[in-house]
Amino acid sequence: MRRVFAFCFILLLVLSGCSGRGFDVSREIDVITREEGSGTRGAFVELFGLLQKGEDGTRTDLVTKEAGVENNTNTILTTVRGDESAIGYISMGALDGKVKALAIDGVAATTENVVSGDYTVSRPFIVVTAANPSALAEDFIAFILSRDGQAIAAKSYIAVAPQAPPYSGDAPAGKLVVGGSSSVSPLMEKLIEAYEAANPNANVQLQTTDSTMGVSKTIEGAYDVGMVSRDLKLTESGVLTDTVIALDGIALIVSPENPVSELTREDIRRIYTGEAATWAEVTR
Amino acid sequence: MKTATREKLVSAVFLAVALTSVAAVALICVFLFASGIPAVGEIGVFRFLLGREWSPTDVPPVFGILPMILGSLYVTAGAILFGVPVGVLTSVFMARMCRPRLYRVIKPALDLLAGIPSIVYGFFGLMVLVPLTREIFGGTGKSIFTASLLLGIMILPTIIGVSESALRSVPQSYYEGALALGASHTRAVYFTVLPAAKSGIFAGVILGIGRAIGETMAVIMVAGNQARAPTGVFKGVRTLTANIVMEMGYSEGLHREALIATGVVLFVFILIINVSFSLVKRRSKQ
Repeated sequence: MRRVFAFCFILLLVLSGCSGRGFDVSREIDVITREEGSGTRGAFVELFGLLQKGEDGTRTDLVTKEAGVENNTNTILTTVRGDESAIGYISMGALDGKVKALAIDGVAATTENVVSGDYTVSRPFIVVTAANPSALAEDFIAFILSRDGQAIAAKSYIAVAPQAPPYSGDAPAGKLVVGGSSSVSPLMEKLIEAYEAANPNANVQLQTTDSTMGVSKTIEGAYDVGMVSRDLKLTESGVLTDTVIALDGIALIVSPENPVSELTREDIRRIYTGEAATWAEVTR
Repeated sequence: MKTATREKLVSAVFLAVALTSVAAVALICVFLFASGIPAVGEIGVFRFLLGREWSPTDVPPVFGILPMILGSLYVTAGAILFGVPVGVLTSVFMARMCRPRLYRVIKPALDLLAGIPSIVYGFFGLMVLVPLTREIFGGTGKSIFTASLLLGIMILPTIIGVSESALRSVPQSYYEGALALGASHTRAVYFTVLPAAKSGIFAGVILGIGRAIGETMAVIMVAGNQARAPTGVFKGVRTLTANIVMEMGYSEGLHREALIATGVVLFVFILIINVSFSLVKRRSKQ
């Protein structure tokens, strides 16, 4: 029995030894993506122009059907770490030291670069309110921008005001309807939970729809606070007050064994549409 | 009189308890069909079942599950290819050739194999089988082959368990008769006992198929999950179960109903498998 184990172990060693033969650029790129409907995928296809929008309202997701699909960040991390010809994308907050985040157009994927605006594969999480928000709405937004709120945001995203003072509201009572982007929703859920603990007089309801609804329903008055996960259009920002509450950066990741450490936006678009099939086509 | 009433009461309680499982099946059926069938009607039966494209978040969305139906069939067939030879030969060994001391090791090991949660199989697949397949056969390592191999291992306890009891229920006179006619031990086992247990073994294989086609968590981690018709043994694949689990979390409206309708298709598959299982079992009794 012990001999069988020893044999298996040696076999594994030999096989894993084979992988040390250097990076082969003619290998096919193993493209890995998130499942349809995921917020990260939604942000990714928007930011890289992989969502073709027709004038008649049609939308086509251009990500190649050959791409491997994983439905959670951890599987993507494990897969990319082990496969030297793989590429994947995750929310920046989930980066660990075991994969390599690619620089995009020469800008490294770091929190500082997202905050400064140099790293463009990111999107703001915005809350909007109508012209005269209620005391409760103002207090809620003040809570989000306080140290307590920003600490929650910083857990998975990038805080916009990390040095803010702690929350010191006077706990106004009332009911608040928050609604909009499904990308902001998971963060908002945690913020609401913490806020209701800090202000027991408040009753906050969360409605998950999308950014466009977040804007239009706030204008209509159905939402007190709207959630938006894209930059506001000029027409929208005229009637609404907007506040950035956090930033969400997306990191393109490859295995540490992959010599590529920088790609252009165009390269990534070509990889994800399936136009560029091998690493040789994107490394120069 | 009093005893008779009590007797009736107790039997009513037992009846109610017995009906719980029937009620559960009935409720699941009602739920599945009530929420799945309208979606199929809206999409179109042929477009849903034979559509080759699955793009649920596009506008307008496209819901075709043929790739996933094929995916499930291929992966299951692959699991049978790996699992049946190993499983049947193991059961022959255990029933007829194994020394009692060795049996006391193999049997608990198999029971343990049956008890391992599928997510653990999935991790094993992701950490061991996927890199191994990648090194030996190239590609991503997440493929029909890997999923089949993993499922082949997972269905072993089912196949071995049922086959072994089928082999043990073959009358000893068959074996002894073969020996009396001059057959060796091995020959007697393979040419008289094994054929006599044929239907029982077949029933085990069908149960294994049921297990393989319904498996989700392990497959999702090693299959690649591409929603397009399978293009090769070493290319990725998405099964019906994976399709449901992957997208259920974020889906809404027609997308969600289409996923439930995928469940209906899976349910029909399982129904077919169970019916053929009972047919085979009935034949083995005659």
